[in-house]
Amino acid sequence: MSQIGWMLSLIPDAVLNWAYWAIIIAGLTGVLAGWLGRWIPFYGNYVKILQPVGIVLLVLGVWLRGGYDTEMAWRDKVAKLEEQVKIAEQKSQETNTVIEKQVVEKTKVIKGKTEYITKYIDREIVKNQEIIKYIEQCPVPKEIIDIHNQAADINKAAEGKK
Amino acid sequence: MKYIILSLAVFLSACSTAPVKQKFPEVPKALVERCESLKKIEGDRVAITEMLKVVVANYGMYYECAAKVDGWNDWYLEQKRIYESVK
Repeated sequence: MSQIGWMLSLIPDAVLNWAYWAIIIAGLTGVLAGWLGRWIPFYGNYVKILQPVGIVLLVLGVWLRGGYDTEMAWRDKVAKLEEQVKIAEQKSQETNTVIEKQVVEKTKVIKGKTEYITKYIDREIVKNQEIIKYIEQCPVPKEIIDIHNQAADINKAAEGKK
Repeated sequence: MKYIILSLAVFLSACSTAPVKQKFPEVPKALVERCESLKKIEGDRVAITEMLKVVVANYGMYYECAAKVDGWNDWYLEQKRIYESVK
């Protein structure tokens, strides 16, 4: 069935449209001729053939025509959706660029500020006489360092539970 | 004749499918970088200034990681809005 659809898709739409209308008109003509033929002398013999052929052609024509209209409606929907998807993909790309720029900028500022504070400690804080005296007299107890390091590793406990 | 009209109406509903695929949006490279592990204080006898520098570095890393999480939230909300605009 799909091969028939593929073969039909090779024929230009306008040609198909005309062909389907021609089948419907032929079918209608056949049905009407079959109906009228009953009153025409000598023509009655053809009625038996014309009427069923007309009905088959009419049904086939309407079916094809219905399929054609549905196909066109779907193509229109697809074209609109494709356009929307294209715009959405473009917007998505633009959003990514904006977000990436924001994150990179924030990270740069944070790194810069961290570096500045660290340098400030080396440059100013360590030269403060009061602090020098404090450092000489009071090194940080090992227990405090251990607690700090344990806290820095809290995430490993959660990773271990995975 | 009634049956013909009825069958014609049924045949008019002939249909076909037409898939349109929307690509999953790419994620900015800055967001997929993992957060660094926090720094630890090295050594047994450490000056308070050395400890302070480690604390400052860790605060910095926290805020860098927070910037990425905020970025993910913004990314998700924006992409969702864009995705839902396609109907």
